[in-house]
Amino acid sequence: MSVVNFIIENILTQASVTIALIAMLGLILQKKSTGQVISGSLKTMLGFMVLSAGSSIIVGSLVYFGHIFTEGFHMQGIIPSIEAINGQAMNELGLGRDIALTFLAIFVFNIIIARFTKWKYIFLTGQAILWMATMTTVFGYFAGLRGVALILVGGFIGGVFAVAMPAIAQPFVRKITGMDDIALGHFCTVGYVFEAGVAKLVGGKGEKKKSVEDLKLPAQFEFLQDTYLSLMVVMTPLYIITAAFAGEKFASTLSGDTNYLMFAFLQSIQFVVGVYVLLAGVRLLLGEIVPAFRGIAMRLVPNAIPALDCPVLFPFSPNAVIVGFITTTIGSIIAMFVLPVFGLAMILPGMLTAFFAGGTAGIFGNLTGGIRGAIIGGVVHGFFITLLPALLVTTFNSMGFVNATATDVDTVTAALLYAWLIGPLLKAF
Amino acid sequence: MFGFGKKKPNEPKKETTEEVLLTVERKEELLRTISFKKEEVNQAAGEKQAKIYEEIGLAFNELGEEDHAIDSLEKSIQAKKSLGNGYKTLLKLYNKKRAEAAKVNNEELLQIYLKKMDQMMQVSKEVTRGVR
Repeated sequence: MSVVNFIIENILTQASVTIALIAMLGLILQKKSTGQVISGSLKTMLGFMVLSAGSSIIVGSLVYFGHIFTEGFHMQGIIPSIEAINGQAMNELGLGRDIALTFLAIFVFNIIIARFTKWKYIFLTGQAILWMATMTTVFGYFAGLRGVALILVGGFIGGVFAVAMPAIAQPFVRKITGMDDIALGHFCTVGYVFEAGVAKLVGGKGEKKKSVEDLKLPAQFEFLQDTYLSLMVVMTPLYIITAAFAGEKFASTLSGDTNYLMFAFLQSIQFVVGVYVLLAGVRLLLGEIVPAFRGIAMRLVPNAIPALDCPVLFPFSPNAVIVGFITTTIGSIIAMFVLPVFGLAMILPGMLTAFFAGGTAGIFGNLTGGIRGAIIGGVVHGFFITLLPALLVTTFNSMGFVNATATDVDTVTAALLYAWLIGPLLKAF
Repeated sequence: MFGFGKKKPNEPKKETTEEVLLTVERKEELLRTISFKKEEVNQAAGEKQAKIYEEIGLAFNELGEEDHAIDSLEKSIQAKKSLGNGYKTLLKLYNKKRAEAAKVNNEELLQIYLKKMDQMMQVSKEVTRGVR
């Protein structure tokens, strides 16, 4: 009995161990060799530990940023980073095990729905499913769900999103790509459809509707070539300007012997380092589980339509990606200044979301409303994808998250479903 | 609720008609193009070579010779990444091969094509972001 107690109290409480055990079980079920089972389990555990280390670095930098921002601007400045939310939920909030199990449950529900209904979409973007699992777990936990219920509800909602989002996007994707055998698997779809709707309303119609693709645009953004460099391009000025506003007197109390602006610069780099480490951890963590799932899913649903990450659409409408990126950035900057007027937190712009979500949204806007639709729709999209995460800030704050909010709007929509529907329903009964 | 996610029943038919429509003359023309371009391709380099490989791949695809098409289109992307018709055709062919592997329960092949599709996403990201 004491051995069982020891296992329960000391081993299974460690999220990294539980996650490694889940991976081990999966590898054994796939009849992998002993060597593969051991290396796969250890890699998964290592992935979790690396992810946690990345999270600690991010949190350190965000705590500093929170202090100088509040001092400098007398309000809360929130950095949109789903990585930061995932890291804090898995690590600081101790929800790692539940998130990992929900992650698996989403896969299972995705397969079940695709197998037994006419919607044959299998969501192949593993990282996006991890973000979805994070949000359903965090908000399920906040709504009062625990244990098996937390995981099953999260898995079901995530699974429904994994099928419904590609299904909702498919009529557009079919027109964009001219085929029906590939779908879009990116949890920003609510935003895409929103932009398509706005563009349809305000965009060009009939003969007046001209496609962005007829224009000649400069095709490349050199500063976006590297994920981490593009993060730095935003974070560094943000930190330094904020430190300058906070003033030398206050900022020096946090920077020790280092010059306060230099310290801000180093802290901004530190944030990027944290994201780098965290994503390296995510890759290790998912490296074993995701290919196995995909193999199982594709065999159980032989006529599956694979839902791929957003770059799948870029080749079909490259100019719209550029227009979408620029207009979404403009929209999110407008939202950054407008939202605090209405008592919401200031959400700082995120370059990567603007590029991937904005770029893809641009393709949708151009499809339904041509150039005019893509431009106006893009700005409104930028505002929309900044507004939704702003609505979560109060909940995140009350749960102890530091200065961050989620990005991908579908995961935010799932979170709002918990906050506005499931939570109140649970409290009512 | 999401009835619009349904496959259009007439779409697969369209593909078969396209294949049937390939006349003897067109076939010969494509074969001539392929043999001519194959000679040309060895003398070219970089972007030009990529373009010629793409043309060969697209010709093979039109002939229905998918493995040859994949081989040429992969060489095209290796020589120079681009997102033209070659890219789109290659992604479509990979997805077709992936579906065939799933049907015959060939896990190894299935993983190969899923991985290749992942790499295509990476290529799209890099080209759009201007990575050379």
